[in-house]
Amino acid sequence: MTDVAIAAKSGEGLLKKRMASLSSSFSYDETAYHLPVSYALTGIAVHDPATAADAYTRAGDNPIIATECLLAQSAAGKEKEPAPYTGFVGDTVLRKLGYSLVDGSILGLALLVGTPQNAGLAAGICRELQEKYMLTFLAGKVVPALLENGIRLGPEYRLIPLGLTNAHGVHFVDIIARVAMMFGGIAPGDAGRLLTYAAERAKAIVIVFPGLSDEDIALVDAMRVLGFPIISLGSYTSDAWITVTPVDAVRRGMETKGIRVTVTAIPIPMACSPAFEGKSIRKEEMYVEFGGGRSPAFELLKMRGIDEIKDGQITVIGPEIDAMKEGSAHPLGIIIEVAGKSMKKDYEPVLERRIHNFVNYGEGSWHVAQRDIIWVRISKEAVAMGVKIKHIGRLLASKFRMDFPQLLDAVAVTLITDKEKVLAAKKEADNIYDERDARIKEMRDGDVDTYYSCTLCQTFAPNHVCVITPERPALCGAISWLDGKIAYEISPAGANQPIGKGALINAQNGEYEGVNRFVKKASHGEIDRCSLYSVMEYPMTCCGCFECIALMVPEVNGIMVVNREFKGVTPSGMTFSTLAGTIGGGAQTPGFAGISKNYILSDRFLQGEGGISRLVWMPTQIKDELKVRLVKKLTDQGNAGFFEKIADETSATTLEELCAFLDRVQHPALAMKPLV
Amino acid sequence: MGFDLRFGWTGPIGAVTLGATRSEGGTRRVSYRIGGGTTLPFLEYNSSHSSPLIAFEICDNPVFWPPIVRNYCGDLVNNVEDWAKTADATYGADMIRLYLTSTRQRNFSDIPAMGKAVEAVLSATSLPLIIEGSNEPNIDSEVFQRCGEVAQGERLLLGTAEANRYRSIAAAALAYNHSLIAQSPIDVNLAKQLNILLREIGVQRDHIVIDPYTGTLGYGFEYSYSAMERIRFSALKGDTDLAMPMICSPTDTLTIKEVREAESSVQDEMAATWEFYSGLAAAVAGAEIICVRHPETVPRLKEAFRSMKNGTGSAQVR
Repeated sequence: MTDVAIAAKSGEGLLKKRMASLSSSFSYDETAYHLPVSYALTGIAVHDPATAADAYTRAGDNPIIATECLLAQSAAGKEKEPAPYTGFVGDTVLRKLGYSLVDGSILGLALLVGTPQNAGLAAGICRELQEKYMLTFLAGKVVPALLENGIRLGPEYRLIPLGLTNAHGVHFVDIIARVAMMFGGIAPGDAGRLLTYAAERAKAIVIVFPGLSDEDIALVDAMRVLGFPIISLGSYTSDAWITVTPVDAVRRGMETKGIRVTVTAIPIPMACSPAFEGKSIRKEEMYVEFGGGRSPAFELLKMRGIDEIKDGQITVIGPEIDAMKEGSAHPLGIIIEVAGKSMKKDYEPVLERRIHNFVNYGEGSWHVAQRDIIWVRISKEAVAMGVKIKHIGRLLASKFRMDFPQLLDAVAVTLITDKEKVLAAKKEADNIYDERDARIKEMRDGDVDTYYSCTLCQTFAPNHVCVITPERPALCGAISWLDGKIAYEISPAGANQPIGKGALINAQNGEYEGVNRFVKKASHGEIDRCSLYSVMEYPMTCCGCFECIALMVPEVNGIMVVNREFKGVTPSGMTFSTLAGTIGGGAQTPGFAGISKNYILSDRFLQGEGGISRLVWMPTQIKDELKVRLVKKLTDQGNAGFFEKIADETSATTLEELCAFLDRVQHPALAMKPLV
Repeated sequence: MGFDLRFGWTGPIGAVTLGATRSEGGTRRVSYRIGGGTTLPFLEYNSSHSSPLIAFEICDNPVFWPPIVRNYCGDLVNNVEDWAKTADATYGADMIRLYLTSTRQRNFSDIPAMGKAVEAVLSATSLPLIIEGSNEPNIDSEVFQRCGEVAQGERLLLGTAEANRYRSIAAAALAYNHSLIAQSPIDVNLAKQLNILLREIGVQRDHIVIDPYTGTLGYGFEYSYSAMERIRFSALKGDTDLAMPMICSPTDTLTIKEVREAESSVQDEMAATWEFYSGLAAAVAGAEIICVRHPETVPRLKEAFRSMKNGTGSAQVR
């Protein structure tokens, strides 16, 4: 075993001695960056022993600079490296290479250095790097080993043999230094920014085989400061180098550096696109179905450790589709396990909801509802094209990876069709649903310091700003606080931005300095104040997507709610669409607010006006939809019986009828503080 | 004038340099520095600020071009070099915008020919160029790489980056020091988002020109106008992510019903009139580059810009 720290120290000493022996002048051809590492780190154009010594000292006896100078000197005056070796890579080629990096056609860079234990092992690693769109540079005896094994080398194979010695690995660093100067706008000599650029932007890893001399170890170990993970396959001992088995080398390196392979096409025998999301599969078109009250079925998404699952693994437990009779119903369990550095347990339910969209993306697959009430169908047409249960798994695994590239590093899908096993797994799932409900239920606006904005609708409502809190979803009902949080993490420049709520201005209305500041800016200066829980004073602006409108009815001292689906005339004398036309477009209209349906169930609903007791009228459709949850909530609050006091279109269609109804039931709003 | 034309605005529009003369490392006879404004256009009489540039659009495969231009220009459209020369010398354009329409053919793969087309136009005219590459993800990478490479040093304006398709163009701009067009679908926030994405990938602000997407006057231009107004106001109020010059190309003007169905004797007049008014409106909204396809539009716009700039109020437009 070689101790890296000791070897590097000795190597640094040896390099320092050799630096003193530099004699003649030297330079690279076809570059405007002199000796690129020296130039990038120190700003010194090295071309003779004196300038070399200056740069070397200035960079704190850096072994990379030493290796660069020594290699340049030994190459000076000689012919170019013999084929297939490239030696120093000129600027023109480099520009193309940098292009591919920015363009995304290569995902990252790898350096393989040393003498592999056997050629097959190195070949396997190269193949994996090729498959993962990495551009690989080779230095040392790894090159002849690959050639002997019949591996083709060259830029077209994304395998570039730099040179026969390990020291040629320094070209890997000079390439990255030049990419930083050409593409990153890093000024020569700005070592600080260079290191930041290398660490954050250069997606580079180093894989080390045995056979490194002390000098080579000093060189490779010095690359750590550039943020390259050093993946070791040799007998080196070091806290800083990552020792792995050959099969894990590429995966481990890419994961450590955060290089992600993006999925582009889904290999299943049916089309898959959001275009199919709206289609349904009718009974006659259906080959087989799952759940929907006909058989037990559920879906669950769980977070796992990165080492606990294998990315892209699809497991089907129980009969496949060919063992199912046409027109039959079968049990189904969909279990999605995901892992990722920035994945959090809180995201599970949000991601789980995407199963619905993704299954519907399949041309021949259909999905409704969620959790343990799902209903899934696969069409005859799809089955005729060869679609199997496992393809639904493939579809899900691929879509999750595609849509959440920043969040997920691995997705594994298990589909259970065996009845006993579905029932057993469903029990576990039910526990998890309960835990989640408890967690979400306890989430209060006061528990967090950060809310999220949504300005998606500014396309047509230019000054509209939604402020999304745990207890107040976006007015369209489509984006919860968690959704906003995840959307921001996935797309930091997107339409959902964090809002620090800042100092409290008015607790009852839910007005905060930070929110006001944000809304002022995001509304392009149009809106100065925004109270989160009030309809009457500085209500939130409305785009046009609101699920419901809450509006004051001054005659009865209350507030009514009307949902989008309600087509009739409300007691205010207006229909939903007339009202929507009056308040939308990004305006702030005191007395009117756009809200989501779920917000009606929130403790913050109408808080500014004294709470839900202000609610006087709401169409039957939404009353039915919310009834179970709302009655339970009211009962818990000791307000049982209030639900019946809310009028609807069957009890009141005009203002007069509404007044009479409210009088008759002795609605509490009548006795509350005057609204206006 | 008795009032402040700057309205307390703080942020100037950033400048972008297009084209490079010999002394600047290119081969153009002129280079332009666009942007730099501190208020809305045409407000200041006799301003030292330059008028919008007029870019004449040509293409390397006229099958994809409006018939009215093909008829007017005749054989020229089959020879991209002659077309470019004529646009420069006869039509009086300030820039040439070359669309590599060949790339729109099914299964197109002759990438080297695209490099040659760019080189041909570079030698046919010494005006600064705008190059519109492919819009097919499979070949974008190669096409932009090639265009960027053959014109290294010429400071092209490359088009067109969109939110889901910007990496190849950004890469070409970065690798060969060109600028690029960032197009968003008539939406101030999306325009900003794309500029941020471009910045994150490494494109400097002074290499970005915003294309807010331009509808034809009467066919959606009012949306473009509103988006442009908002982009410019945000920029002037200090939002540096939107403080870039704008380019407008109301290309649909030549295919609208009024032009298509006009009597053949007045068709060119009709086409140029629609293009003129759409372009003029875009200039008033703040665009620094106006793109046109009908040769007769060029002198009309020039005359209008001149009279508006001098404040003579004598713009006689037909």
